[in-house]
Amino acid sequence: MKPDCREAQAEVYTYLDGEMGFFRKWRMKRHLRDCPPCADGFSFESKLQQKVREDCVEDVPEELMVRVKTFLRQNGPTDPSADPTAGGSDV
Amino acid sequence: MADQATFESDVEEFIPQLYSAALRMTRNPADAEDVLQEALLKAYRGYHTFKAGTNLKAWLYRILTNTFINKYRQKSRRPAEVELGELEDLYLFKRLGDSGTGGASRSAEEEALDQFVDLDIKAAVEALPENFRLPVLLADVEGFSYKEIAEIMDVPIGTVMSRLHRGRKQLQRALWQVAEERGIGTSS
Repeated sequence: MKPDCREAQAEVYTYLDGEMGFFRKWRMKRHLRDCPPCADGFSFESKLQQKVREDCVEDVPEELMVRVKTFLRQNGPTDPSADPTAGGSDV
Repeated sequence: MADQATFESDVEEFIPQLYSAALRMTRNPADAEDVLQEALLKAYRGYHTFKAGTNLKAWLYRILTNTFINKYRQKSRRPAEVELGELEDLYLFKRLGDSGTGGASRSAEEEALDQFVDLDIKAAVEALPENFRLPVLLADVEGFSYKEIAEIMDVPIGTVMSRLHRGRKQLQRALWQVAEERGIGTSS
């Protein structure tokens, strides 16, 4: 594998996740334009991410929605306590 | 400051996503419902601390994630941090490509991908150790940015990236095992 490919592949996720800075993104696009094997690999990774997203979504049973709402109404906002985003001691 | 009176209508649209995430976290419907209910109740009671106009979805996921971590760790007593070995970049793509059909046609590997069913994918996600599964879920299923995941999980961005990238490769290794068992990618 060429050093350019190795470098590109090491950053596949940063690129696909849209977390790459402007200059590195530009260099990556240029590499992918010139390197069909890497472009195929990146396309595969992107398809796999999409598949994970689609396949992990569940339909929520209607009864569950009803149970959750009933639970919330019954147990309502009585406790003006601490910040709910605060983690426990073992986080 | 958010108004508790509008809590139910504000969060309703996120409940299906939160439930899906809870299912992937807990790996069973009863625990998922427990975690979801407890997280929503905490959110309801603390809704006055939510700053209206900021990211409600990320706020709810943070509560869900904390609720899960607290409950789950108490229950299982499993070590929370698991290390994974380094795997090659583009792991699954390369394995599928080496197994026969790759190179011949441009989309051979992508066609092989279609042969994994949703249960294969769910099982592979659920098999990931918790500290890798959460970032994979938050990024790939929920579409959060690295920064949002760092805030939700309360870890540095560098840790999010490292766990997410390694978690994805580990997921690919699990899928490759399925592929080998089932002959995916090897038929022409």
